[in-house]
Amino acid sequence: MRILVVEDEKKTASFVRKALQAEGFAVDVCHNGDDALAATRATPFDVIVLDIMLPGRDGLSVLRQLRERKNTTPVLLLSARGEVNERVEGLNAGADDYLPKPFELAELVARVRALTRRSGENKSTVLRVADLTLDTVTHRAQRGGVDIELTAREYRLLEFLIRSPGRLCGRMMILEKVWDYDFDPGTNLVDVYVRRLREKIDANFEPKLLHTVRGAGYVLKEQP
Amino acid sequence: MTIRTRLSLWYAGVLTASLLVIGVGTYRELDEQLRHNHRREPEEHAILETGELILQVGLPAVLLGLAGGWWLTRRALAPMAELTEAINKIHERNLREPLSRTGNGDELDRLTEVFNGMLARLNDSFNRTREFTLHASHELKTPLTVLCGETETALRDESLSAAERERAASRLDELRRLARIVDGLTLLAKADAGQVALKLEPVRLDELVRDNFADAQILAEPHGIQVELAACEEITVCGDRHRLRQLLLNLADNAVKYNQPHGQVTMSLRRAKDAAEFNIANSGPGISPEVLPRVFDRFFRGDPAHSPTVDGCGLGLSIVQWIVSAHNGTIKIESVPSKLTTVIVRLPLAHENKPPL
Repeated sequence: MRILVVEDEKKTASFVRKALQAEGFAVDVCHNGDDALAATRATPFDVIVLDIMLPGRDGLSVLRQLRERKNTTPVLLLSARGEVNERVEGLNAGADDYLPKPFELAELVARVRALTRRSGENKSTVLRVADLTLDTVTHRAQRGGVDIELTAREYRLLEFLIRSPGRLCGRMMILEKVWDYDFDPGTNLVDVYVRRLREKIDANFEPKLLHTVRGAGYVLKEQP
Repeated sequence: MTIRTRLSLWYAGVLTASLLVIGVGTYRELDEQLRHNHRREPEEHAILETGELILQVGLPAVLLGLAGGWWLTRRALAPMAELTEAINKIHERNLREPLSRTGNGDELDRLTEVFNGMLARLNDSFNRTREFTLHASHELKTPLTVLCGETETALRDESLSAAERERAASRLDELRRLARIVDGLTLLAKADAGQVALKLEPVRLDELVRDNFADAQILAEPHGIQVELAACEEITVCGDRHRLRQLLLNLADNAVKYNQPHGQVTMSLRRAKDAAEFNIANSGPGISPEVLPRVFDRFFRGDPAHSPTVDGCGLGLSIVQWIVSAHNGTIKIESVPSKLTTVIVRLPLAHENKPPL
């Protein structure tokens, strides 16, 4: 998997590269839009992480140029402008995801990960981690053959987590996908829901599956 | 025509009319006396008659003068009253709209012109402050991104000791709080500058309230707080779905945060005449009357003794207030300290809500 990071701020580019490399991605970095367009012509990438504010040609213009060239590489936009409707603008321009700065690194990695998986998503209707199963048709959750009662929101949270087993899911990403919030409400809503879900799926069972990664997010996996 | 000329002319008119009345009255009275002239009367009678004369002629003249004077000053001051009314409506958000001028070149017109000049200068200065906030929050984002990113990278280092890890994680928490403050500031600065466009569509408010009720129950549970949905009528408003959810969640979060352990939160959505009325009440310590008018101020934190451990970015209610006013609604807080604090939000119903500017 090869990722292109287009970011003019050197330090940001550097830790983004380190984080993605730590996840096993090959990472190329460009510091301006023209270099990025040249790089995409030469190399096929699996995901492009594109900052909107770039010197010279800006990120949205790079994105439009890419899409005009029929380049369908998934693009994750980064932005420090914090425009409320910038997300919509970016998605309309052909972006696949959008992350406002300052972002959480875990969030960025999780989103890149999600974009690389987009095509090959699990088509099965019964999702499974260890002895925990979730039927996406009947909305039935079971652990070790025992039925678990879930509220609608808990179901959506579990479905989101179980679709990325073993992968870190950031708080913002959960808020966006499970609650459809495009803002950080500054509440501990996610933490409280995760705690409740944990009581239902983990309290009476071993091994524990739902883990907290301090300062990063949550992960559903078999090994601690 | 200047006010001085106008006043002089009107006054001359009133004076002429009064003199005419006096003249005509005196003439008729004298005429009558002349006809009865043959009867000579004693001196004391003459004095009495003069008094009568003054009363008969003078009184109407005085009354006319009073009425005329009243009418005159009222006419002269009418533009002043209009100007006062217009100035009274000025607040920081409509500084861009100048007061309308009469255009007749009088002193008041000149005053309006000078006042408009002052408004323009004030507007410039407000704009500079807004731009400063906006630029400041943008400038803060880049170093914040770097700091958050590097701290997270450091946390991934397996060789960190537990104590080092704890320190880094706590630093990260604070950095994220800072990031939320910067986010809130950016949003408000943009809203002030009129740069936030709402995505308006018909929204079933009752559905959002039900969702919010579920979230509020979850938020309240760890504190043993009971949440109740007293009423939820089917109501559609024209609004921005995301902003309205942000509004509701913010109010619910506050109702839980500023409550007491094992307290009570009651919310309701009802149709009230031509508006949707959302009420959310909590049984917390409440807000004292002297603090109440300031709770929507940015970074305002009431009495520190009452809310020592509540965290947050200090911009929640300011954002709430912006969302409500952007939807042409109103928000009000009523508080009976240590009994009940109610937030009342009214939003226009769908068909009556005109898109905000």
